[in-house]
Amino acid sequence: MKYALVLAALLSVVSCASTDTVKTQTPPENSNITIVCPTGSCTKAQEVQKVEIVNPPVVKTVLDKTENESMVLNEQKPLLISVVGQGVAPINTASPAQAYALAKRAAVADAYRLIAEKVKGVRIDGQDLVQNMMVKRSTVRTSVAAMVRNANIVETTFKEGLCEVEMEITLNRSQFPH
Amino acid sequence: MRSGNGDNTQPFSISSLVILFILSSATLFADEYLISYRSVIQDAIIYNETLTISHAMQKCPQNSFLNEKALLLPIKKSKDLKEIILQNYEEFLEYLQKSGMKVEHAQETRNSINHSTTRLTFQTHCFKVDFNDNFVTIAPLK
Repeated sequence: MKYALVLAALLSVVSCASTDTVKTQTPPENSNITIVCPTGSCTKAQEVQKVEIVNPPVVKTVLDKTENESMVLNEQKPLLISVVGQGVAPINTASPAQAYALAKRAAVADAYRLIAEKVKGVRIDGQDLVQNMMVKRSTVRTSVAAMVRNANIVETTFKEGLCEVEMEITLNRSQFPH
Repeated sequence: MRSGNGDNTQPFSISSLVILFILSSATLFADEYLISYRSVIQDAIIYNETLTISHAMQKCPQNSFLNEKALLLPIKKSKDLKEIILQNYEEFLEYLQKSGMKVEHAQETRNSINHSTTRLTFQTHCFKVDFNDNFVTIAPLK
């Protein structure tokens, strides 16, 4: 009788142990995913008890950290934008001085345009006309409209009818409340 | 006997009147002008430039200044603002640009041929102008 009771106890312990054991499916080599499967070989998704990712890889961002910092307007650090605008003197000018003055006007306007494009962005519209399997007309339109304040002219050069104006603007986070 | 109260108030009233007159004359002598600027640039060549200066027919309602720093221009011969500005045109234009310019740019490329138009506009603003003996102070109002 004693032996029968001991045998029954042993059998129950063995059966309990067999139900509690959880087999871990070995992942293929060079994999960092561990699948915990109670049956040993899981064929269906419902049978999988747990999926673990060992040492998850760091997802690379498109921009590097340093590049990202330089492009985004920081709360503490103001952003300096520098552009070079170009302008040409008209053909029929009375004097070289007038040619310089008029070329400078055009160069300043070009510099303002470049600042507006850099800060606000450009609207681009494109249109292609294809007739009888041939491109008849291809049109690209770009436009920008902005208000620019406190831009400084750094340097002006005039050479062979071309005037170049280097312009700078400092942007602060406080200028953009929204 | 006459009381001393009436004698004491009379000099005070005269002095206050004098102060009031000085203050009102100071505000009266500060002229107000309406100034606007516009330039059109086509294909990197200036096409048109317009600077409009006119005396304000009525008092400007604005109180605060658009630009913190006022522009000082020297007076050489006449006290006409148009002449003073034309004599110091580059300096005045730079001051206007710093105060804020509206930029409108449109570019079209059709069959690889490019055309562009850029408009720089300083919208009409009221300017407070103070004429002194040797210089004039110009400051735009908001």
